[in-house]
Amino acid sequence: MALLKGVVCPFCGCLCDDLEVEVQDGKILSTRNACPVSRSKFLSHAEDRARPTVGGREVGMEEAVEEAARILREADFPLIYGLSSTESDAQRLAVRLAELTGASLDNTSSTCHGPTVLAAQECGAVKCTLGEVKNRADLVVFWGCNPAEAHIRHPVRYSLTPAGMYRQGKKERFSVHVDVRETRTSKMVNQFIKVEEGKDYELLSALRAALRGYEVKEAAGVPGEKVKELAERMKGCKFGIIFFGMGLTMSKGKNLNIDAALRLVRDLNDYTKFLIMPMRGHFNVSGANEVLTWLTGYPFAVNFSRGYPVYNPGEFSAVDLLYRGECDAALILASDPAAHFPARSVRHLASIPTIVIDPKVSLTTKLARVVIPSAIAGIECDGTAYRMDGVPLRLKKIVESPYLPDREILGRIIERVGA
Amino acid sequence: MEVILNTGRTVDQGVSMERGKTSPEYFEKVAVAFLHPEDAGAVGVGEGQAVRVTTEFGSVVVRCLLGNTERGTIFIPMGPWANSLTSPLTEGTGMPSLKGLKAKIAGAPGEKPTPLEELVKRWRGEVGSA
Ligand code: SF4
Repeated sequence: MALLKGVVCPFCGCLCDDLEVEVQDGKILSTRNACPVSRSKFLSHAEDRARPTVGGREVGMEEAVEEAARILREADFPLIYGLSSTESDAQRLAVRLAELTGASLDNTSSTCHGPTVLAAQECGAVKCTLGEVKNRADLVVFWGCNPAEAHIRHPVRYSLTPAGMYRQGKKERFSVHVDVRETRTSKMVNQFIKVEEGKDYELLSALRAALRGYEVKEAAGVPGEKVKELAERMKGCKFGIIFFGMGLTMSKGKNLNIDAALRLVRDLNDYTKFLIMPMRGHFNVSGANEVLTWLTGYPFAVNFSRGYPVYNPGEFSAVDLLYRGECDAALILASDPAAHFPARSVRHLASIPTIVIDPKVSLTTKLARVVIPSAIAGIECDGTAYRMDGVPLRLKKIVESPYLPDREILGRIIERVGA
Repeated sequence: MEVILNTGRTVDQGVSMERGKTSPEYFEKVAVAFLHPEDAGAVGVGEGQAVRVTTEFGSVVVRCLLGNTERGTIFIPMGPWANSLTSPLTEGTGMPSLKGLKAKIAGAPGEKPTPLEELVKRWRGEVGSA
């Protein structure tokens, strides 16, 4: 039996790198330090695996790869989507394939923190690493996010309770949760502030006004004194941070909500050190943005049909392309849009030849013309992933796998498409 | 009754998703809606009973769980049931509207939560969406 230490968890954007995994005869027996979701991912990795199929018929890998290449060669306006639950070499090859086939290329950030990227392109973002938060933050604000359910070890490892260099645990950090409803996260913090549905922009703007000394009577259902108190607390801390999530990016206002949050943080830096970080979901969605940006200049929603990259969220983003029924083929890599896209967009995916590269049976595999099973990055193959703060970490291969890594499958498709 | 619908991640959704999206566990944890007890009472639905949720984009039956949501709001974990109801319109951002949607809830006595196979058929256009 082997006990592997320092294993990086390939589930969420926290990329916890302190996991211990017990392996015997090529099987994972147990995990230590993993949260329940992570444990489930490691212990269930061999279950519910996809099989190579074409048109629902089980085939050999070669035939599946050949058919995938044929579909992409013949398509006029294909879509390549996903990328966020795989490692960065596979992401790099997805860009290559998109360029070769003149595809639209989008990653899951368009349906999570795409609005964050749009806002940061407008006004910049004051950023730091999670290590700095752990060592220095004395004010932590969770806004429109629920780490207790979605980034389970974030509060323990980075933001609320860990002993850092200058902050010893929870008593030396004041914490606030701002959200439309109380959740498990509200119970972990010092103060919960309830914002009315769809009015985050109003509250963020009121905080900016209060910072400048304007009187706020009430904003987004929050009494003026509370707004003032939070503004003063933000101004008066030594190192503050806002972590934010889908509560801001997905609700009314979308990128404008983030714009207001980024500008609030910028204003706060006139008084103290204040930072902001999106709570990234898929373990390598940050990597998908990084890789697309170095290779094409743009983080998501890129189209290659003119032979060079063109960026236009709303036009080349997957939900829009599918809803408008524009793409005539799709390759879905390491994500499950049938489970996570509005059904109106999923329908088009069911009507075109869709290729899915995924370790597991997913809802999208149920609609696919071609299914190509792959090894799970971070469990069955190595690679690089970017944590939510942009720090790259090396994923380990824990057990052998009969499946090929995504990067090899993409490499084979590229060879055939180019031939 | 009119409500605001929010969708998002839960621990149970994450754990059961890793067991497999076709697993009974996923169906049990994700084909659900959290309602405020008074709202549930108002439409005559109890814990574990069927509730129909409808938006302008679609309609599904899910299991009602009484939870800590605000009055007038309901929460459905992210997944194909929630997304039968969400808006594909992105207002030029690429981001669909998955939170803060207008929805209607009603008791669905005698009905069962919409099976996954039914949702797949809807995607394939083999059956209508309501
Ligand atoms: S918090 Fe995220 S990265 Fe850390 S163990 Fe849990 S799922 Fe994995």
